[in-house]
Amino acid sequence: MLSFTETRVVDATTRREARHWRDGRIFRALLSEYLVLWLSLAYFLVMLPIIPAIGSRAALSNILADMLPLLAVAVGQTFVLIVAGIDLSVTAIMAMASVVGASVMSSQGGFAGGTVFAAPLGFVAMLAVGAAIGLFNGFCAARLRMPSFIVTLTGMMFFSGAAIWYTTFHTETSSIAGLPRSFVAVGQGSTLGIPNSLWPVLALVLAAHFILARTAFGQHLYAVGRNPKAAAIAGVPVARVVILAFLISGLCAAVSSALYTGRLETGTPILGERMLLDIIGAVVIGGTSLFGGRGKVVWTVFGVLFLVLLDTSLKMLGLSLFSVLAIKGTVILLAAIVDTLRVRLTGTRS
Amino acid sequence: MIGEMAQTRRYSEQAKLVALRSAPLILFAIVIALFSLLSDRFLTVQNFLNILTQSSHVAILGIGMTFVLLIAGIDLSVGAIMFLAVAVMSIYVPDATPVTGFLTCLAVGIAFGAVNAVVITWVRIAAFIATLSALFIGRGIALYITETRMAFMNMDILSLGRLAYLGIPWAIWVFAAVFLVAFVTLRSTPFGRQLYAIGENRSAALKAGINVNAIQFAVYVISGACAGIAGFVSITQVGAASATFGLEKEFAAIAAAVLGGTSLFGGRGGVVGTVFGAVLIQTAYSGLVIINANPYIYPLVTASIIFVAVFVDSQRVRILETINRRTIRVEEA
Amino acid sequence: MTEPLLRITDLQKSFFGVKVLHGVSLTLDRGEVMGLVGENGSGKSTTMNLLGGVLRLETGEILIDGVPYNPRSPRDAQEAGIAFIHQELNLFENLSIEENMFIGGFPRLTGLPFIARAGMRRRAAAALARVRIGHDPATPLARLSQGERQLVEIARALLQDARIIIFDEPTTSLTHRETSRLFELIGELKASGIAIIYISHVLADIFRLCDTITVLRDGHVVGGGPASELTAEDLIRLMVGRSLSQIFPDRTPVEPGPAILDVERLSQPGIVRDITFQVRAGEVVGISGLMGAGRSELARILFGLDPFASGTIRFAGETIPAPEPRDMIRRGMAFLTEDRRGEGLMMEATIEENIALPSVDDFASAPFGRVDRARLRRAVRQIGDEVRISRTKDVGETPAQTLSGGNQQKVVLAKWLLRRPKLLVLDEPTRGIDVGAKFEVYKIIDQAAASGAGVLMISSELEELMGMCDRILVMAHGEIRQEFARASFNGERILEAAMWSPKTGEVAA
Repeated sequence: MLSFTETRVVDATTRREARHWRDGRIFRALLSEYLVLWLSLAYFLVMLPIIPAIGSRAALSNILADMLPLLAVAVGQTFVLIVAGIDLSVTAIMAMASVVGASVMSSQGGFAGGTVFAAPLGFVAMLAVGAAIGLFNGFCAARLRMPSFIVTLTGMMFFSGAAIWYTTFHTETSSIAGLPRSFVAVGQGSTLGIPNSLWPVLALVLAAHFILARTAFGQHLYAVGRNPKAAAIAGVPVARVVILAFLISGLCAAVSSALYTGRLETGTPILGERMLLDIIGAVVIGGTSLFGGRGKVVWTVFGVLFLVLLDTSLKMLGLSLFSVLAIKGTVILLAAIVDTLRVRLTGTRS
Repeated sequence: MIGEMAQTRRYSEQAKLVALRSAPLILFAIVIALFSLLSDRFLTVQNFLNILTQSSHVAILGIGMTFVLLIAGIDLSVGAIMFLAVAVMSIYVPDATPVTGFLTCLAVGIAFGAVNAVVITWVRIAAFIATLSALFIGRGIALYITETRMAFMNMDILSLGRLAYLGIPWAIWVFAAVFLVAFVTLRSTPFGRQLYAIGENRSAALKAGINVNAIQFAVYVISGACAGIAGFVSITQVGAASATFGLEKEFAAIAAAVLGGTSLFGGRGGVVGTVFGAVLIQTAYSGLVIINANPYIYPLVTASIIFVAVFVDSQRVRILETINRRTIRVEEA
Repeated sequence: MTEPLLRITDLQKSFFGVKVLHGVSLTLDRGEVMGLVGENGSGKSTTMNLLGGVLRLETGEILIDGVPYNPRSPRDAQEAGIAFIHQELNLFENLSIEENMFIGGFPRLTGLPFIARAGMRRRAAAALARVRIGHDPATPLARLSQGERQLVEIARALLQDARIIIFDEPTTSLTHRETSRLFELIGELKASGIAIIYISHVLADIFRLCDTITVLRDGHVVGGGPASELTAEDLIRLMVGRSLSQIFPDRTPVEPGPAILDVERLSQPGIVRDITFQVRAGEVVGISGLMGAGRSELARILFGLDPFASGTIRFAGETIPAPEPRDMIRRGMAFLTEDRRGEGLMMEATIEENIALPSVDDFASAPFGRVDRARLRRAVRQIGDEVRISRTKDVGETPAQTLSGGNQQKVVLAKWLLRRPKLLVLDEPTRGIDVGAKFEVYKIIDQAAASGAGVLMISSELEELMGMCDRILVMAHGEIRQEFARASFNGERILEAAMWSPKTGEVAA
């Protein structure tokens, strides 16, 4: 489930048939892929007596609303991690998409501002940004054989700077306001108590799950992450698969950006700043392996849930920024230790 | 006949490799040439000293990172260590002299690095995750200590920012000292050479009797120590540490190292390249400032330079791979 | 009689429950050069790995100079004075010659943590001189040729005061001149009292160098003695010797169809030269030859993993100017590579995921590429049953890495057979699997041919080829040297053809 350590080759000569408490049902459930979900629930229950407010409708609704945009970009990152890559540029993509989209749909000088097409065009522009940068990342990683760490790192540097610069073309201030109501409503509003952003994210999550679990392409993704040589010999179009993974990450970042931008009601070039480690942390807590070949959308959902729950509870406790950071770091570390233990006890990675 | 054809192909490929390996130098030459043409204030000793001064903390950070990268590891916590070190110094040793201040920062760096080392070597957590957590925890502790307020340094420490021996700013001396120690260590000590061996082929290194665990431990301590020193150097130039001190500096360090030829996969590279990388980035930055370029394009230029350097290196690796494709040795006629 | 330097008694070893060594015993004296001969799977490598500390002793005893020896690591072997020069050299390309030689323990300046460069250089130069390398010790290793690098390893062994040096197939990548240099050196080492175990397939070299020869087969010592009392024919007979019945299924008689694969004058400089042959539907064609002969390389070129410079490849009648794996698979070619763990399987994936991989697209339907999982599982179960993978019930849960070697290979076979390929290219299909599983693999191959596929089988096990193939092509040094039809299969003559070398001409009889 969780996997933070390097592959261990099982030495079959020392492997034994384990027939004791390790095979017990509770033990297995503890180490199953729902571990993070159980942890989240357990944590929630523990926190309830301490901060009863966390069980309130408003709090739960906030948690959900906070989860959704983070989940969107984390899903994209999951795809990239599965093929044993990493996308450090997602926050920059979010920033770039935010300002480009805003520049299209803003009623204060946006390209399509004021028209009925403003919002849809703006959204399309955001997707285009995500797609373009994603494709570029994928191309460099797959065809030019550059390490994805560096490609996406330079991408992050480049596009966060570019986003800030781009903003100066459109406004004297540091952000672009005047976004159409319809657009803002998706990121911000709720209908009948359910955040509007739930629907696009739900669709995204379901689509992502479908791709990974039910399609041939999904199998190709896992194969490339597990063993690119074997995948190539089995006829998997490795380069194409990698490029698509990064494309998906870019698109997901764009969707996430749309939601955050709507929430903030402005296009801002510092969107997503400081979020990168939260994104990667959530995916990794959920159990997707940094080394490729393992990961599920539902795991990322749990990881994001846990992270946001943690964040919210700490804020409600009145803990300041530092504690939140320190505790987050400790949690990630503990998760890694649990995983190491799990690998050592069961002797396998699955 | 077949032997000859193969031979000629080998030569042209070797030539290509040599050209590609000198790419960072060529890049550097282009950058200098370009900015010298665009402004006559560029090619001055004062400017050169400025560049070195401003790049010194990233260079020191990068030197520590180089050790880690050489064994195919990574340390994402160095920026946080920088912050934590100066935070500790500011809050707990507010009357520090330059010497005690320096030692405080160094000690914090070593201690933190040691914790990383334990987690990675003994608990066996992957370096990416371990140092990612360390980043969060380190920043968290630092913010706690400073109560999220600006951390100020006393005048003694700050005066170091204006100190110069023989006309050369103090920061450059520190950087030169760190560089020298690192260079000699990597070049002339068993530890240094064994480090390269581990990065090249970990299992062969184990078989050769190298104490891989001990070396790995030391490497993360070194990285922490350099981060502590870099924090100290940086604070003397900046004056106070806000909540964003050291933020994302790990990426700058990695970029400098990779730009200078250190491979993310271990075994290749060195501190000379890293320093070169840090200086190159700072040179470009400084050049842009001098020609009054639009400040918004600074990160774009920096990112592009790094990208080009890594691109060129990747092509070099690709060509190497094609050469080393499995060949049956053809008998020389 | 003085105690021999090395005495190995009744060494036994098993892997994954499969017994590989059934009690190997041998002795070695100071200054003796012993040739160790045997086919792949005979137990040579395992015995040497035990001696060299790479594997742990199971049953049996090793005495060095009368002292019991039980190494826990290669380091222990080094300290006991045993040096193992592997075929894959244990050197670091990013360091210099002298650094490579002293990497385990550098000489230091007294009291300081610095390398005593001058002292190191002197000692390195002396060792290099002993092995006759002309390079300066400070030269980067990357500049050295394969032969020179090997000499560096030997120099390192000498520095570590090796008493016994094991050479594993040392001459495969060496030129004629380098080989002569190596042999001269071995002569000098022998004269200085060092004992040498020399593993090689090149019988001419064995006779040139060795005082005694030991032959292993199927984990037993089947023969040996002073080299002067043995002939190449004796060795080959001992190596090959097993009766061929009951190991191989009766071949189903098939009328060969049209040529599936037609290769004409295929060449890639440095790899293969002028390869011309055909494989017809229903035929099993074997490719024999020593390691380095170009067999696997040829297969990789046909499949599209590596390029070729000239010649023609025709598959099912169509000329393929630039093969590419995805395309060749679609056309009906299958390639079971020799590296099962590295290229054939995804070890952490389940049996089902492995078997399904090349075929998922076929089970996917538009418009979204949704895979019909039920149909896929049925197909996987069925092929798993046909191929007799144990635990076919849990194909969806069992990771490949928990399977035995035999079952793993069957998974790879199943993966390809699921596609009903027209041409099945198998590279060492029974490597590392036990006798029972081997028989099942042979049956599968026979059935594949019987149902109309062409089979191209690369193997280092002669009797396997002779038992299964309709024709055998023998490759050496990148060329096809000879072809044998089933009626005229002859183990000794096949081996001889495989041992052809442009350096020495035919093998000395």
